[in-house]
Amino acid sequence: MLITKNIKMADVIHMNYFTLSALNRFGIELGFGDKSVEVVCKEYKVDPEFFLEIANTFVNKDYFPKKHLQTFSVKLITDYLQKTHHYYHKVKVPEIELLIENMVESCYTQKDNMVLLKKFFNDYKNELLNHTQREEEVVFPYTIAIENAFLNQNPDESILHMMETYSIDVFENEHDNIEEKLFDLKNIIIKYLPAPKDQRLCNKLLYELFNLEQDLNDHSRIEEKVLVPKIREMEKQIINNFTNR
Amino acid sequence: MAKITFAICEKSFLIRKGLASVIEKIPDTKIIQQIENAEELIVSANNCEADYLILNKKFTTDPKVKKVLSAFSGTTRFILLVNDNNNKVSGIYYDGIIDVNDTQNFILKKIKEITGKNAVIQKNVIPGEISKREADILKNIALGFSNKEIADKLFISVHTVVTHRKNITRKLGIKTVPGLTIYAIINKLIDIDKAE
Repeated sequence: MLITKNIKMADVIHMNYFTLSALNRFGIELGFGDKSVEVVCKEYKVDPEFFLEIANTFVNKDYFPKKHLQTFSVKLITDYLQKTHHYYHKVKVPEIELLIENMVESCYTQKDNMVLLKKFFNDYKNELLNHTQREEEVVFPYTIAIENAFLNQNPDESILHMMETYSIDVFENEHDNIEEKLFDLKNIIIKYLPAPKDQRLCNKLLYELFNLEQDLNDHSRIEEKVLVPKIREMEKQIINNFTNR
Repeated sequence: MAKITFAICEKSFLIRKGLASVIEKIPDTKIIQQIENAEELIVSANNCEADYLILNKKFTTDPKVKKVLSAFSGTTRFILLVNDNNNKVSGIYYDGIIDVNDTQNFILKKIKEITGKNAVIQKNVIPGEISKREADILKNIALGFSNKEIADKLFISVHTVVTHRKNITRKLGIKTVPGLTIYAIINKLIDIDKAE
């Protein structure tokens, strides 16, 4: 079932609690009583259309309105992606770190192995940080500059120089698979970490890892299927406009 | 299912684009890199992420390229692109040859054969614990040795090391070197102090 703007925001969460993390990203706080999605979005100055599409992709795995998502502004899309980065670094990663730390603390029989896991995840954390930093410092500013030049009737020629040194194709090529190490970590815990270990903590940790992996997949899907084609189209238009001058 | 990825190394823009569009007609394939000159090839060869690198035979006459390719230590497999009937290239292990004069259907058939052959081999590997030989290889990966170094140490070809690596990853479900290192330590294949 698709979420529409007239549904109560509370019902959205009842429908699928995964939407909680979407609310979190848009900065929407709980306690909205019986207000509809549209009303709550307006209160928080969130574009209701955009919120609905994102919330629906959270609820329904097969729902991905690529074309419609591409109609939203680059600013809106990159703002959302940036909020997602923030959510990883401030919420998800610390949660996982805490669980791993608990495992190290509570384990006496294989402390070495737990310390290894901790180091592995710490390296991963740095990799993720570099990955998102690169996007925020290089990729997103570039996409916004492209959008500005695209909307401007008479763009400055400097945009062409910018496009010579960087393009969305470069991003697509260098955009590495950040989920691979998470996959390995899951498998090590599921298949290879010897017993006895704290099953309860392991399960919690696995749940969080699956969750983060899924979220990262959704995140890169928006980058690769929405942002990249949208920018590529704009790049083409800009070049056309200059050649037709 | 994971996509089969290709890198194309060819000087001519038209041939590169043409070949890319033909290959992408096969479901679940993706061209992830296009290389146009020898310098670029040398730089990207050893960290090429594609499953297959299709390269014009002419590049192999460059001694520097040849040196890099014959000591190749990644998991990428090679396919040669030729435009004459003289197909012999020594010193480099490759899985197949495509002629630029081949028809589209023939090229598609060849690519499917080459990738299909390896897919069948992959299916026949029984998942589960790794063999003694694979454990030796894994131990060396975890200690930080390159494919070439491992090949020299164990007196086997680089190609054999690559095949072992693919099988290890498939059997264990662990793709990255740090992941494999943890597996090796947990299973006491190496000492924790020796790992990087």
